[in-house]
Amino acid sequence: MNGIEHESADGCILIRLRGEVDLSWSQQVREAVLAALQKNARVGVVLSEVTYIDSSGIAALVEGFQNARSRGTGFALVAISDAVRAVLELARLDRVFPIVADVAAIPEANGASAWKP
Amino acid sequence: MNPQPAMSMPVAVASEARALAFLADLSETLAVSLDLRQTLSEAVTRIADFMDAEAASLFLLEEDGDMLECRVCVGPIDITGLRIPLGQGVVGRAVAENRNQVVADALSDARVDRSNDVDTGFVTRSLLCAPLATAKGPIGALEVVNKRTGGAFSADDAEILRLVAAPTSLAINNARMAHELVQQARMRREFDLARRMQKSLLPKRRRDGFPLIGMNLPAHEISGDFYDYFDLADGRIGFFIGDVSGKGLDAALLMVRVASLLRWVGKDGTPPSEWLQKVNEELCQGSLDGRFVCALVGHCDRNAQQVEIAAAGFPPALLYRRGEFTEFLSGGAPLGILAGETFDGHRIDLTDASLYCYSDGVTDVRDAQRRTIGSEGVRELISRHAGASAEPRLRGMFSELKHLRLVDDTTLLLIERMQSHGPEVLLKRRFPARPEQMRGIRSLLRTALDDAGVEAAIRDKLVLAVDEACCNVIRHAYGPECSGDIDLRVTRDAGKLEFRLLDTAPVVDPQCVRAKPLGECRSGGLGIALIDTVMDDWAMQQRPDGRGNCMVMHKKVSANQASGEDQA
Repeated sequence: MNGIEHESADGCILIRLRGEVDLSWSQQVREAVLAALQKNARVGVVLSEVTYIDSSGIAALVEGFQNARSRGTGFALVAISDAVRAVLELARLDRVFPIVADVAAIPEANGASAWKP
Repeated sequence: MNPQPAMSMPVAVASEARALAFLADLSETLAVSLDLRQTLSEAVTRIADFMDAEAASLFLLEEDGDMLECRVCVGPIDITGLRIPLGQGVVGRAVAENRNQVVADALSDARVDRSNDVDTGFVTRSLLCAPLATAKGPIGALEVVNKRTGGAFSADDAEILRLVAAPTSLAINNARMAHELVQQARMRREFDLARRMQKSLLPKRRRDGFPLIGMNLPAHEISGDFYDYFDLADGRIGFFIGDVSGKGLDAALLMVRVASLLRWVGKDGTPPSEWLQKVNEELCQGSLDGRFVCALVGHCDRNAQQVEIAAAGFPPALLYRRGEFTEFLSGGAPLGILAGETFDGHRIDLTDASLYCYSDGVTDVRDAQRRTIGSEGVRELISRHAGASAEPRLRGMFSELKHLRLVDDTTLLLIERMQSHGPEVLLKRRFPARPEQMRGIRSLLRTALDDAGVEAAIRDKLVLAVDEACCNVIRHAYGPECSGDIDLRVTRDAGKLEFRLLDTAPVVDPQCVRAKPLGECRSGGLGIALIDTVMDDWAMQQRPDGRGNCMVMHKKVSANQASGEDQA
């Protein structure tokens, strides 16, 4: 049920997460995000199929975002599910992360400030 | 094809066009008027000018419908305030007959009352008067006096005045309706306020095994019924229920006075008979304007073993024990009628029994055949619902009463030993403190909260918070070096959820477990901050045996999802 997939799209790496992101594998999520950023590409984490995320999952995303900033590359959350949005709002991080509505919107979002380092 | 434009209009056509323009203009002015008095005064002036009259006036029928009063007038003599009986004089006739009155020669016309002329020196020569007609009959009349050019008013003049009268009466009618609406809205607001205030006087439902529940359903917006209960110094409970004769605002005001008097006198534990006597003396000293008060007062112990009551003109209290009813009649007349009255009381054994005290609104409820259900109907109602525990039983009875016709305020006070339920266990689980366990635990918790009727959005937040608490135990209390179990228990007590986590890990210094501000872009310390946001309160507690840690979190869930609040 839980899973990580990588896709390349339009000059950026998409990391698609599935299932319930919790302490049992959030470390893998963290590593996947950091590895993608190592390639100096923009990274989008697709969260449309994430049904639950805990603070350790959020922490992995925060770390990715901060890492991207220090590298001067782009990082965004893509197509966040309601479950993810609820936790981001609860943690008051919904305005901190650049958020792209869906994968189809990525090309347009490329120029947008959300994607900019 | 195109006809030549007329070089000059015939005189009749020109005056008709002028009349139409005048009428249209006047109608518009009246229609958009905000200040009717000002507009009517302008309208009457313009009518006088247009019709070449020396004077003009507008009379309106007074509220009782017998007299007409001049409200607006223009001309050499001010007759504002002049009153004319309906049917008398030209104006009185125009309204009474709902017909135009044309007077060509006032001096020789019997309809004309010239007493005013005599007083003022004004000479009335000719008159024209049109009723102000509405769908509900005339509300007044418009009158023009003395054609400036001399002679009488023509048939055309009469027709124009009739036409002018229509928008005038419409405007007056509209203004009156608007005024009424404003008045009604104000009254409604005041009633609403009074009703809410009165409701706030009723005591709050007390749980924790408190042996009394009251319910009140006002038939009118403001109730004359009341009840109250309070703790006495010796640990017993004082209570009363009552009903003020009459309805409406004045009954409600008296109710407020009587309820506070009853509370004041009963507060020190005065025995019921004496309690009523004192209140009766006090009420008989002041004037109640023929009103009186029926009431039942009493004491009971917290376990509801013994009740002592006394009543004044109140319907008999009904004791229900295993299918049998016993009635306890009032020991005296209603309060506020006769000074010196005494009230016999009853001492009742309440073991395994329930005592129902109800206002006559309950017995006066009408069934489908519009018959009152009477005391027999109340007994049936109690028997039918006897199986349910106290609160659902009362709710069931009231919802049945509501389906019948309520003619009076309906109030019921139930006294019985209440089951004290203690907390209800929603989930109890012991599991190894390992991350891969959490998915299953979250699922169990979700189901348990769903079963408890917790709203989905709150459920998800609670699941998150409990998960965070468990993860903290896994990561920080046990850490990578230790292993052990987590004991999770979820309970509910009076609408409050409690989540308790026990572990056997090395004791954590509670000072280290603190919420950090949310909204900060940091990857650590988020878990406790989320718990802090989601829960009403939480604490790390010492386990009595000194082993491991105990974390307790609370969340109040809204009443309608949990056990329900008093509806009435």
